[in-house]
Amino acid sequence: MNTLSDAARKTLFPRGIGLGLKYLLFAVLSIGLMVTDHRGDARLRPIRDWTARALQPILWLTSLPQATFNLGDHFRSREALLIENQALHQKQLELEGRLLRLDALEAENARIRELLSSAASLQTRVLIAEIMQVSQEPYRQIVLNKGERDGVYKGQALVDADGIMGQVMQVNPGSSVALLVTDLDNSVPVEINRTGLQTIARGRGDGQTLSLPFLPGNADIKVGDLLVSSGLGGRFPPGYPVGKINELRHPAGESFMEGIAYPTARLNQGHQALLVWSERPALAAEPEPAVERPADASGNTAANAKAAAAAPSKRDTTAAHKLETPQKTPAPAAAPAPAKPATPAVPHR
Amino acid sequence: MNRDSNPLVFMFSLLLALGLQVLALPDFIASFRPLLLALTLAYWAVYAPEMPALLAAWLLGLCCDVLYGAPLGQYALGLVTVAYATRRLSGTLLAFPLWQATLTLVPVWAIYIFLMFWIDGLTHHQADPLHRWLPLLSTSLLWPLIAGMLGDMRGRRSRRGILP
Repeated sequence: MNTLSDAARKTLFPRGIGLGLKYLLFAVLSIGLMVTDHRGDARLRPIRDWTARALQPILWLTSLPQATFNLGDHFRSREALLIENQALHQKQLELEGRLLRLDALEAENARIRELLSSAASLQTRVLIAEIMQVSQEPYRQIVLNKGERDGVYKGQALVDADGIMGQVMQVNPGSSVALLVTDLDNSVPVEINRTGLQTIARGRGDGQTLSLPFLPGNADIKVGDLLVSSGLGGRFPPGYPVGKINELRHPAGESFMEGIAYPTARLNQGHQALLVWSERPALAAEPEPAVERPADASGNTAANAKAAAAAPSKRDTTAAHKLETPQKTPAPAAAPAPAKPATPAVPHR
Repeated sequence: MNRDSNPLVFMFSLLLALGLQVLALPDFIASFRPLLLALTLAYWAVYAPEMPALLAAWLLGLCCDVLYGAPLGQYALGLVTVAYATRRLSGTLLAFPLWQATLTLVPVWAIYIFLMFWIDGLTHHQADPLHRWLPLLSTSLLWPLIAGMLGDMRGRRSRRGILP
């Protein structure tokens, strides 16, 4: 009789047949995948998507402990809620008052910009995303609960109430992974709010600070200066706070100085973040230009601002350039939506 | 019947390890989080050679890649390497007492971590060095525990136990 089980018999050949070959196969497959993926091959997209879909339950399960921890929120005392409600009401009033002024300023800004025939807009489309409690251990990145289904795209800017947080690095169907502004691989084009000096803020990779390398030695910059995003490059929307200068280093014998800044966004706190649309090329259907043309310098700010919100800021800068080269009226088909005010600018000449 | 290979336990333990790998932990213990997935795979590769550890390692590696936003194949390569190395070493590991086996496995974890560190560098995917290397310690120390625990889960202490 055969007393050995199948498994035991198999181990009589301790290495198993072709173990090395199997390993080689998997290793080559992995390396091949890595190389193609690193070169940005779109054919790997479905693999990623389907794996992400399959992993959705695991993500959900791992974020459960946090959810049950937050269950305590349901059992808070009435007084605490009332107090909080009152405080929020007050804040709301305060903010509304400021917003009223802002509305007037925005209208004025739009009018002045119209005079200049450039369409940089302050309005942007945003979406609130929840930061999921999913550990990304060796990496400093965060997982958001909004993905491709919500229109999130790679490179999209992420802000919180206090400033720019980072950008989306990878988009899955139902979630996305974002890189923080302090990551070594992340750079934000910024300007010093006080002087308008343009520079770049790089993460230093320590999870805490940003670095402004290669500042001219005589640059007008002080500790405490606010950095706001300049919107150059079109990836980050202009005008959001990025950081505050904390330290200026002047290495001996170097002609450049380096600024160290703390990000204004609260990177390690809070559960929510705002996804901001800024660069997304407007979709094919864009009837606005035709509507917009008659509403030229008539101060139709609302409509103009709405249309400008749809137009990406990148093209807005090209719009400004078009002013100098006047007879470029029919925008080529490559740029589907001619920046609106550029077209009205032509009749002026 | 095959008494020591329950595919359900195999799959469940690996999925559990994957879940624990991405479970959010407070910062001060997060950097000591052991490489649970690699540990579990190593356990199966050593103690249950009939299980498709290499295939499982590869698939779970792909899952890790998607979870971490790493280039597809990075963690797959690492975990397959761990599974292969431990399978090759299984004879030695089974013959050694547990503490010696624990020491023998340290280079395996080190190779895995170095491989991941290296590919991170190649693909410009910055990782925190502390969070990358500290798990080496906890992973090494956890091996005896995993070997004992999973052994219990499967109903017997180790493969070296005399056939009933």
